[in-house]
Amino acid sequence: MTIAHERIDLEAPLSGDFQAVVRLIIGGIAERVDFAFEEIDDLQLAVERLLAEAGQVGSVHLSFEVGDSSIRTRVGPLSESAVAEALRDGEGPPGVLTLPRILQTVVDSFGVEDIGGGAIVVRLEKVKAFS
Amino acid sequence: MNVPQRRSPAATEKAREEDRALLRRYHEDGDTTAREELIERHLPLVRSLARRYAGRGEALEDIEQVGAIGLIKAIDRFELEREVSLATYATPNVVGEIKRHFRDKGWAIRVPRALQELNASMSGAIERLTGRLGRSPSIAEIAEELKTTPEEVLEAMEVGSAYSTVSLSTGPGGDEELDPLETIGGEDEEFERSEHRAALEPALDRLPDREREILRMRFEEGLPQTQIAQRVGLSQMHVSRLIRKSLSIMREELLRMPPGAA
Repeated sequence: MTIAHERIDLEAPLSGDFQAVVRLIIGGIAERVDFAFEEIDDLQLAVERLLAEAGQVGSVHLSFEVGDSSIRTRVGPLSESAVAEALRDGEGPPGVLTLPRILQTVVDSFGVEDIGGGAIVVRLEKVKAFS
Repeated sequence: MNVPQRRSPAATEKAREEDRALLRRYHEDGDTTAREELIERHLPLVRSLARRYAGRGEALEDIEQVGAIGLIKAIDRFELEREVSLATYATPNVVGEIKRHFRDKGWAIRVPRALQELNASMSGAIERLTGRLGRSPSIAEIAEELKTTPEEVLEAMEVGSAYSTVSLSTGPGGDEELDPLETIGGEDEEFERSEHRAALEPALDRLPDREREILRMRFEEGLPQTQIAQRVGLSQMHVSRLIRKSLSIMREELLRMPPGAA
């Protein structure tokens, strides 16, 4: 299936009640790119872990850029400075399970954008394995 | 079908004595091979009890796995002075674990029955397709296998995830543990604790061995869920749920820890 590079934007409450909705939407988007079950699960887990760090109050913006065989996701603004530092510090020593290690395992690449005011946006890219 | 046969009184007594010898080896000598043998010997009991709870929107293999946890707890907690047989002692433990599982699962949120059934059949479909295709199947392929639509498959996936979210209120140690949600502090306290929030390692110790091993395989060895599922003998969906649940539990554990403890 060939898909023009489409973009989907979503403003979601951070309350745990809505995380299931976010997962469902990610599943729906990833299905359009024909991601495998496991790849969808990976992307859902990455976003889920980031949202877990963002607390329960307010909302977060998610945007999904859908390519032929990949999805680029932006999550933010996130205001947790500890998360930003953890993501910039690399994967940490062997045997230590950190947020970067989780993200490195479940997505193909990720990065942090400093958008000022102590806030960050996290970029995630997941590429379909059998494209 | 493997139907447990009724034993003669002599055979029952012999089995009971063999159990006692194994329990003694495990509890007095720390012989873990005896523990494994006990688990193997009593898995038919677990399967038999699990079948009673089949058809409630959950894969039988998942119920059996939950029941096996009850069996292991019973073996570990068994006191040699007890006059009862291990099977008698284990039965309420296994049933209790299964009931707790269903209670935590929160089907009370009234998921449509058709969706529950689809969720239950997905696990087997994913295993079949993974074996056939040599890779994780797409949603469209799962839908085709189950003769349904991709949208329904996605919804059914979410039904499985909903369980993980609900059950986070129960820690790995069972009912006696505090509900993590009761322990989350106010905003200031949370801010103070944020310094060590991203390092999940200290909370790993609070997870059961199996979950720790699954996380190690996934995030240290980098194994895909399909391979982990094969190694630990669970379905891929079950592995996925355990990973999610474990990571959430670990995070809640970190919120509980005093600042600097990590």
